[in-house]
Amino acid sequence: MTDSDSQLVDELEYDPFFLHARREAVIIFCCWFVAMLWAVPYCYYYGYGIADPEKIPTTFGIPSWLLWGIGMPWLLADTFTTWFCFWFMKDGELGSAGDENLPPVAEAGEEATS
Amino acid sequence: MSWTTSLLAAADSGSAVLITFLIYIMVVFFIAWASNRLLKGKNFLSEYFLGSRGLGVWAFALTLAATSSSGGSFMGFPSKIYTHGWSLGLWIGSYMVVPICVMGILGKRINQVARLSGSITVPDILRDRFRSVAFGLIAVSLIVFFMTFNLVAQFKGGSEILRTLLKPIDAFSDVASGLPTWFTGLSSQGSEYLLCLLVFGLAVIVYTTYGGFHAVVWTDVMQGIVMVVGVMIMLPLAIYQAGTAVQNTQPEVAAKATSSLESVTRRMATMIPPRKGTATFTLVDPEAADDQRVLPSGSWIFVAGEADTPGRLFKVAKGYTLAEGSSSLVSEDKDGNGRLDKAQEGQPGKGEDLNGNNVLDPEIWEIVDPNDIVQVQKRLEEEKETDNLTGVFTLSDIAVNDYAYGAKPAERGSYVSGPGPHRDNVSGFLPLSLAISFFFMWAISGTGQPSNMVRLMAFKDTPTLRRSIFTVAIYYTLIYFPLVIIFCCARVLIPGMESEPDRIMPQMAIELTQNIGMGWMAGLLIAAPFAAVMSTVDSFLLMISSALVRDIYQRNLNPKATERKLKQLSYLFTMLVGLGALLGAMNPPEFLQDIIVYTGSGLASCFLAAVVYSLFWPRSNSQGCIAAMLSGFGAHLSLYLIGFLRGTGFTPYSVWGMDPVVIGLLVSFLVGYLVTISTQPPPTDLVRKYFCKPNSETS
Repeated sequence: MTDSDSQLVDELEYDPFFLHARREAVIIFCCWFVAMLWAVPYCYYYGYGIADPEKIPTTFGIPSWLLWGIGMPWLLADTFTTWFCFWFMKDGELGSAGDENLPPVAEAGEEATS
Repeated sequence: MSWTTSLLAAADSGSAVLITFLIYIMVVFFIAWASNRLLKGKNFLSEYFLGSRGLGVWAFALTLAATSSSGGSFMGFPSKIYTHGWSLGLWIGSYMVVPICVMGILGKRINQVARLSGSITVPDILRDRFRSVAFGLIAVSLIVFFMTFNLVAQFKGGSEILRTLLKPIDAFSDVASGLPTWFTGLSSQGSEYLLCLLVFGLAVIVYTTYGGFHAVVWTDVMQGIVMVVGVMIMLPLAIYQAGTAVQNTQPEVAAKATSSLESVTRRMATMIPPRKGTATFTLVDPEAADDQRVLPSGSWIFVAGEADTPGRLFKVAKGYTLAEGSSSLVSEDKDGNGRLDKAQEGQPGKGEDLNGNNVLDPEIWEIVDPNDIVQVQKRLEEEKETDNLTGVFTLSDIAVNDYAYGAKPAERGSYVSGPGPHRDNVSGFLPLSLAISFFFMWAISGTGQPSNMVRLMAFKDTPTLRRSIFTVAIYYTLIYFPLVIIFCCARVLIPGMESEPDRIMPQMAIELTQNIGMGWMAGLLIAAPFAAVMSTVDSFLLMISSALVRDIYQRNLNPKATERKLKQLSYLFTMLVGLGALLGAMNPPEFLQDIIVYTGSGLASCFLAAVVYSLFWPRSNSQGCIAAMLSGFGAHLSLYLIGFLRGTGFTPYSVWGMDPVVIGLLVSFLVGYLVTISTQPPPTDLVRKYFCKPNSETS
């Protein structure tokens, strides 16, 4: 491949479907990262090495460190997922492989397509 | 449906399990038959291995959810919750973002690229995306390597689960013990295991072979529904009954609580982990009848205290039978009286004779929590626990050890706080580095599983993907956090199950339903773990056979193979792979659970970076992606090899306390990037095909 080919790759006009998919993937990765940044430090700070476990704070019967560290973020993650799926993700044409619910292209004795 | 009602009403929980199991198997075979009819009139390979890329919301969402929820979710996970308490909430915490990560990161692009290239399998995509036969073959080799080990392990896991479920049924033990000797001699695991392996293995092989992808998907849907219904029934029953148990045994604790679940948590805060060790068992009456010469697994012995010393309560971990002529079961070979037979499957007298030189330690657990002791005694009085050896045997030479973390006064409350109690690890169950690793593992490693990627290639359109992500998110919310609550309640309701934690799921199902006089319902609840492992096995089976038929035979050996030939080979390979795994599972190698962990994290280390680069980075090329795949494989394997060479068996060497998947993925992404930018860019026509609109020109 020549330098001009390399330059050509940089100058191609990308499919908006691909660009949307890439942007969505980056946002989802960030969502995972934020979830980790909240859940692990919060649980570690409030839930590890509790001085007097018999007086451990609870919320709805669950240890509070777990409810606020995991339970509540879980509901927030579900809310984010709902917004992401129904208001943010873009629909688009996936294309056709030619084998979707189509009759077989090759019967016995004939050649099959790959 | 009156016959069903009366049948179920008449059944006790044991036969209910059997009835549920038989109904379940019949439905599975019906689905396979219906799926096979779908194969007619369609492109065979696409339909058999990918369901003609036409999965709708429910099928797509539940097949992905059920495949991800292996037997571990319903057997291993509950046993971990029971053993380590509330900290399992953090351990499983990243499941809050697993659906959106696993389906959302790769979903749209992998489906689009699979259609653009006409790919049916993951190696297909990699091969076509870079027009590299070598890449396709490397990917196939890694899938077959990892999946074959995993399949053997899953077959064993499925058989163990079935054995646990069917064990209470007398007819099952009778059939197993009636198997001919030459046949049971084929397996080192005993006749009950062999019987379960055959039933489980043949059922999965037949319905997967006959029905293909659609059979797998629709059984997954049924299995997914069974799982969530089981959890939803158990949740309120568990909270209510555990709260009542605290009220009965520790009213002062219950009085301080404002809800049943809070009294469960407050009770757990005072719990002390049990001790484990060995002891010598001696018959009180040396001339006792044969039925008293047996120590069933899970049986209890109370040793009364002397003077100011309180009594002690012990549980027998494994079943033993005293050898003929012996009146003692000892932990060491002392004077020839120490011969013992390990009872196999509760069959007295059929144990292995150890010739007095190679004596097994009779393993015991001591319950040290005073409230647990009171509750066990109460359960024995109420006959909820039936095996009581108090007065039949005496104990001497007792040697028991505390948990490495959780038993010391300074570590009390370990069941309600991190890092959770642990028998061997002084850092506890979930130190910070492992908490980070697991957050990484479930979401990111799950995204890199080829079995999930195949499903992402099968949904029919983008609205289906969006709705499915939402559906799986709700589905996991309804399953995983409630499971933590249910099996924390189990700690309070059924004390002393640390000796056999894998039985806690069926035991809890039976306990909850019998307490409300509906023992028949246990069958439905117990079907959940069986469904979970079946849905994982069938997917793996199809992945290996598709790799062999499509990626090796059709694409490399005989591209002009006829439809009939491919059909015959698909059936043949699916069956042969299944039978091969079944034979391997007859005498499974050691470290099977470790192999499952190794293969899951290994596949992610190999595939995630390569697939992400190939789907999202136009500059990526075959050299970079192959390097990403092989370096991930190498880094991950190296950590296991270093661990092995350091004498820790199958426990990998840990860098900064992290799981090897974290290191494998970091190395894979880094090496892939460096090799890509230092080699030639990909051909423009490939970039144009996979990243640009059709007929696009340069700007």
